Amino acid sequence: MTTVPLKSVSGRRRRTDHIMRGLIWAGAIVALIPLVLVIYYILKKGLGVISGNLFTTDPTGATFGTDLSVLGGIKSAILGTLEMIALATLISVPIGIAIAVWLVEYGRGTKPASVIRYLIDVMTGVPSVVFGLFIYVTLVESQVGGSGFAGWKGAIAISLLMLPIVARSAEVVLLLVPDSLRESALALGAPRWRVIFRIVLPTAAPGLLTGSLLAVARGAGETAPLLFTVQATLVSSGDLTQRMNSLPVQIFNDIQSPNSTIVDRAWGAALTLVALVLIITLIARFIASRSRLQT
Amino acid sequence: MTPPDETSPNRTEVVEQQDAASAAAPQATVGAPEVPTRPGEGARAGGHTISVDDLDAYYGETHAIRGVSIDYAANDVTAMIGPSGCGKSTVLRCLNRMHEEITGAYATGTVKLDDTDIYGSSIDVVAVRRSIGMVFQKPNPFPTMSVADNVSAGLRLAGVKGKHKDEVVEKSLRDAGLWEEVKERLSEPGVGLSGGQQQRLCIARTIAIQPDIILMDEPCSALDPIATLKIEELIHELKRQYTIIIVTHNMQQAARVADRTAFFWLGELIELGPTEKIFTKPDNQRTEDYVSGKFG
Amino acid sequence: MPGTRHAFHEELENLEKQALGALDMIVATLERALEALKHQDVELAQIVISDDDRIDGRYLEVHQGILTLLATQAPVATDLRTVAALLHVIKHVERMGDQCVNIAKLIPITGHEPPVDEEMLATVVRMGDLAISEVRQAKQAFELRDVGLAQDLVRQDEEINKLNREVFRMGVRAGGSDEDRLEWVLTIVMVARALERVGDNAVDIGEQVAFVVTGLFREFSDASHPLPS
Repeated sequence: MTTVPLKSVSGRRRRTDHIMRGLIWAGAIVALIPLVLVIYYILKKGLGVISGNLFTTDPTGATFGTDLSVLGGIKSAILGTLEMIALATLISVPIGIAIAVWLVEYGRGTKPASVIRYLIDVMTGVPSVVFGLFIYVTLVESQVGGSGFAGWKGAIAISLLMLPIVARSAEVVLLLVPDSLRESALALGAPRWRVIFRIVLPTAAPGLLTGSLLAVARGAGETAPLLFTVQATLVSSGDLTQRMNSLPVQIFNDIQSPNSTIVDRAWGAALTLVALVLIITLIARFIASRSRLQT
Repeated sequence: MTPPDETSPNRTEVVEQQDAASAAAPQATVGAPEVPTRPGEGARAGGHTISVDDLDAYYGETHAIRGVSIDYAANDVTAMIGPSGCGKSTVLRCLNRMHEEITGAYATGTVKLDDTDIYGSSIDVVAVRRSIGMVFQKPNPFPTMSVADNVSAGLRLAGVKGKHKDEVVEKSLRDAGLWEEVKERLSEPGVGLSGGQQQRLCIARTIAIQPDIILMDEPCSALDPIATLKIEELIHELKRQYTIIIVTHNMQQAARVADRTAFFWLGELIELGPTEKIFTKPDNQRTEDYVSGKFG
Repeated sequence: MPGTRHAFHEELENLEKQALGALDMIVATLERALEALKHQDVELAQIVISDDDRIDGRYLEVHQGILTLLATQAPVATDLRTVAALLHVIKHVERMGDQCVNIAKLIPITGHEPPVDEEMLATVVRMGDLAISEVRQAKQAFELRDVGLAQDLVRQDEEINKLNREVFRMGVRAGGSDEDRLEWVLTIVMVARALERVGDNAVDIGEQVAFVVTGLFREFSDASHPLPS
């Protein structure tokens, strides 16, 4: 039994605590200001343009006019973005997950794995414009596939962007699957590939999905690769072997116009793009919260 | 990557060989020449034995198991005890070739399941593990599967198709002493059961593929005392059909559960004998010191 | 990790000390009983009888201690054999104590001036000395875990047995038809028998020594297979 009473907190410590709290709050607010401003600005500028017309008509290419019925909406841009992102996803997600599977299941701890992981990390840092230029030089200039600019080439550029994101996040998720599950499955007399397909991947599925969706959200918003590989058209042909319109490019072009309505349309497109990314992110978070793999 | 294993409802040639062998050849005699401690429970028709000869196991450069030779009697429960790091778990994992799944780990020597050396050059590792099942320390039902699917997981992972899954599931759950508790909950997630139930589920999963031998690596370490006792009772039942080898760091458990006990120290087998002998009058002084708690 | 389970081994040593200490109590009791016999000291005999409570008390202490140790510490191997042996030892101690009480109870009847047969009395006293020496040796054998010393008890016990038979023969000769004499003679024979029983118990303790050391239980001398005399 102690007879020395417990010391109470000194005044100085209390003051320091308050000051630090204040500073941290301030830092958080400062960090949030740009985000809030951006959202406010987009909403302010873009909400006015939102209408049925915006989503159901293609841009007409007209540069004079004050009404969307003359200028057209952004339908082709939306469709183009969706198509190219879908193709990019189809390319990058399976490959990215396959890389992650190799890193975790077969190459864990080996030298080649460290090298590959390093390369992937480097890829994450490559500016997206570089991917665009790379595809431009290899696929566009040489007119591979019969045409110069094409939707599918843009999709490839974006998939290069998405690939490292998918691979890294998938690797993290796969590492979270307890080794004890793999052991049990192996001990039941299953070949390793079956263990991966029947046990590891299904267990990691929610996390893999989340990672992929986040990569998609990122890819949907990239402008630079598309500028060099797809250019833009006005009408949505849906044909990936031709030029296609896309939201980022549409925004890029419209925002430079002297016509203020067209500029407004750009903001509308920006708002649409943000909303698209937001929806994808929300879906990802919803799936993650229902994940059975409690991390 | 290992090439896809073509589905075959029957096991591969290893198992067919050993079934023929055990039917034709007399039962392998085991261990010390003394009288079986529980008469009639030694070699029994259909029982399977494991015979280890000069086993060495390595983790990269580390020489973990040194020249271990040991025989496991059919339909007996053999316990392996020893202080932490003595190699008992490593030996266990060599018995179903799980040891080599660790990067850089390998083993040399002979391990015979009945008359077949499972380290033979033509032996399929996957087939070995279907004959020698393993239950691990931490209960780990597959989280994406229901109770019933967990039990039949072994069959499905082996590529066995068939309409008899339900029967197999029920029989395995009954044999594991879990049927009554889960028969109403077969489609609920396996991870929703209590710890003790999960471990019995894992045991059901292991016996559903009808192995010859069951290996258990500290199966009760993560369980409460009552769940532990239930599993010990279960082991007593299971040994009628299977040969069981259990690693435990709980000496009292080894004393309760095992017919024979092997004491390991620093990677070597020090003494193997009937459990009563090890715990009342061991031959080796180090065994005596360990079981009396003088070190470890 | 040398020296684990301190508390357990301390407790076990304690129990052994208590049990073997009771053998010292037996020696003292025997000495007193013999004194009382030699000098027909009824008061001393009374002390022997009442002192048996201490021996019984010691028995209960050790018994309880053993049960507790078994329940809480789960001894195995040599420790387990030691615990089992101590249980036997303390039982034999208690029996020896009872035999001393029997002797003490007989002493009033031996009051007879002069003793009917001097030689008988002297032989019985000699038996008593041998019994005391056996008890001491049994204690030493257990303390030292000396199987040879334990087995030697058989030889000593044979002496006591021989003397016992002699006392019986002397009694038969000296009895006669006088009721008074007969009463004395029969009483002395019973005292001899009690001493002989004490010797047997000492040999039993020796057998426990062998059990602790070798793990085998074997009767040194079986009553149904008497050694050639």
